[in-house]
Amino acid sequence: MDDMRVAPLFRMEGVSKRYGGVRALEDARLDCSRGRIHAVLGENGAGKSTLIKIMAGVVQPDSGTMQLAGRPVVFRNPAAATAAGIVCIFQELSLLPDLTVADNIAIANPPRRYGLIDRRAQRRLAEAALARAGAEDIHPLAPVKDLPLSRRQMVEIAKALAQDPKILILDEATSALTAADVAKVFAVLKQLREDGLAIVYISHRMHEIAELADDCTVYRNGGFVATFAAGTKSDEAIVEMIIGREYKSVFPPKPAAKPLGPPALAITELSWAGQLKSISLAIRPGEVVGLGGLDGQGQRELLLALFGVLVGVTGKVEVGGKPVAVASPRAAKANAVGMALIPEDRKTEGLMLPMSVRDNLSFAALERFQQFGLIDRQREAAEIGEVIKLLQIRCDGTDGPVAALSGGNQQKIVIGKWLMTKPEIILLNDPTRGIDVGTKQELYQLLRRLADQGAAILFYSTDYDELIGCCDRVLVLYDGAIARVLEGGEITERNLVASALNLPAAHRHGVPLASVAQAPA
Amino acid sequence: MLAGIVKRVDPAVLAVFACIVLLLLGGSLYSRNFLSPEYLLQQLNVAAFLGIIASGVMLVVLLGHIDLSMPWVVTIGGMMSTAAAGWGDLGAALAIPFGIVCGLAVGLINGLGVAFLRVPSMIFTLGMNAIAQGLMVLHTSGFAPQDHATRTMHLIAVERSILGIPNALWIWAVVGAAVVILLKRTAFGRRVYAIGNRERAVYLSGVDARRVVVACFAVAGACSAFAGVLLAGYSTKAYQAMGDPYLLPVIAAVVLGGTSILGGRGTYLGTVAGVTLITLLQSILSVVQMPEAGRQITYGALIVAMLLFYGRERLQH
Repeated sequence: MDDMRVAPLFRMEGVSKRYGGVRALEDARLDCSRGRIHAVLGENGAGKSTLIKIMAGVVQPDSGTMQLAGRPVVFRNPAAATAAGIVCIFQELSLLPDLTVADNIAIANPPRRYGLIDRRAQRRLAEAALARAGAEDIHPLAPVKDLPLSRRQMVEIAKALAQDPKILILDEATSALTAADVAKVFAVLKQLREDGLAIVYISHRMHEIAELADDCTVYRNGGFVATFAAGTKSDEAIVEMIIGREYKSVFPPKPAAKPLGPPALAITELSWAGQLKSISLAIRPGEVVGLGGLDGQGQRELLLALFGVLVGVTGKVEVGGKPVAVASPRAAKANAVGMALIPEDRKTEGLMLPMSVRDNLSFAALERFQQFGLIDRQREAAEIGEVIKLLQIRCDGTDGPVAALSGGNQQKIVIGKWLMTKPEIILLNDPTRGIDVGTKQELYQLLRRLADQGAAILFYSTDYDELIGCCDRVLVLYDGAIARVLEGGEITERNLVASALNLPAAHRHGVPLASVAQAPA
Repeated sequence: MLAGIVKRVDPAVLAVFACIVLLLLGGSLYSRNFLSPEYLLQQLNVAAFLGIIASGVMLVVLLGHIDLSMPWVVTIGGMMSTAAAGWGDLGAALAIPFGIVCGLAVGLINGLGVAFLRVPSMIFTLGMNAIAQGLMVLHTSGFAPQDHATRTMHLIAVERSILGIPNALWIWAVVGAAVVILLKRTAFGRRVYAIGNRERAVYLSGVDARRVVVACFAVAGACSAFAGVLLAGYSTKAYQAMGDPYLLPVIAAVVLGGTSILGGRGTYLGTVAGVTLITLLQSILSVVQMPEAGRQITYGALIVAMLLFYGRERLQH
């Protein structure tokens, strides 16, 4: 086996990929060896996804070489990579919801008899794959759409194993799983490692890396940073490698004095469809209030309910002391309410990608530029210019499509679009996902500046560090209700995690946080 | 100056204009009449009907929807206006607006069905087309309604009152100018494109997309009916299924003109080019005595070829 260590099973060298003018990956390197788990670390946008898409044949590199067992290989499509034994479990679920579990597991190459699918053989195959993935509890003939998200992810893993891979790639494969499932998946991965598979594991969670990885490689801004054996570097050192600078200086200072005065937004006993349970909160002008907790505890629903997207919301909402009924985003935007929502997915919810920077930026505020039914283009251009300057949006004029901009600049356009409506209450739904560190930092400063100018800000983030660094107060949600309110010095990672799990304060120290925490350390 | 304009125009639209020129030059080899002003004005007169329908249909296509009720809304426009003309002097005076309002009503129902009931426009408008057909059959069956166009309808469809240019062409110019201003200079126009690109983002921007959708379908209904009124004036009478031959040419003209069938992209200039090209093609195919079957195959092939072209372009992004 020693010579296998010397010559890795898979080697990637000098691989580069550009999308238009954007460098997604440059001079990438990666070695994978049999019987080892190789963790790839990096922020969103660091190039990890592009790297594995190239490995899996989804994307063609512009340059560079790949070798499998010492021989150069080129994958023109995912099928070619699968045939060579490289199987990928992607972040986005790839199952067809209307087919059964067995159909999905065998979809690439179902067992056939006389040209027709042999259902019995397919079922046996699915059962074997599910057993190998440690998910015997899933019935092979159940339709995928009836399974909860965590079960679907297990089917996804079984589907990958059914293709008998030599190299298995997992891209954030555990982000949708419950703690018990994560433990199971880890056991399966360790078994697969024993079986001699090479595993590439991508995750944002440091403790997962610590538990699983044999080797680690860090990427940053599309470039290779370092490869090292697991356990040879401290967590702090790794985090600094990932973000490329010292960690402390990212957030602007919080104001010493608490803002006083009546709340800009007050809600009482807000409930919705069993997913929001009697939530009450008040935000004063000048406050940045965070929403914390594990993913999917009702944070998104709360923002959408406030913004008038959800139907059947009960409870009282007061803006500036007056009760309001917000039945649609249009009502939320109206002057009497003055709300803005930075949505979760900027590409499908925030932007019209093929349309110009100008059309996108002024879109929510078009009413203001109308004169005799026509758009006053001069005034529009002037205000757009101001927003571009304020947010330091890097774009070549305002006529080009938003699709050509980087993720960070796209996100700035979504925010700029809403700043043009001059909102007094700003709701943000995980706004820093998939944007680079520099832009994140600008965003944190912008939030504070907006608050200082009198905006009331409600900010949901899946990144605990952001909550700690940005917020004056954090409401931790658990199962659709506020589990705990953390204020000032109480906002620590430990408190956030403990409240997210809704642990009573007394037992907090006895729990092995690292095994269940959902946020990157 | 000219180079600057050319640079700003979608290359696909330029290609269509090039086709128009080629078609005329090719036709002139066959007969010198193809380049005579009289022939061209005659063609533009006919193109105006197609162009007015296409103006409304284009709005709907920009939204990412389609209006398949167009053929019988055209018929409604023609038959209702001539029917009104039979109701005495007041009816004759209101014949044209009455025809248009009937089409607008059908368009309004289309819009409400698509925007509020969320029925896919392809199904809903197809259903409305059938209903419109049934209503018109009902209208003519029990008694023989008046089907002759009024003097005014004939005047605006055929005659040349100003500068020797057909009145129908002036009307198309006015409708076209209104659509251009609507699309380029108003918030409504921006929203039309935005809905075609990403309706969810429009909704989350605090804009009621449903109103825009309803309005576009209503305008499309009104445009189709107006064209029906003009067609009745042109042929002096309204008759069953008079709009049927227009469905394919209209959609072909809009798509040929570079409007994405998926919505969100397209210019009115392109639609003008598409309408002109289709009209010339029709004329030339009939002059060279291509049989109806060959004509249909040519339209179909053209649409498919252009869709192929746009599909490719999208993949490169």
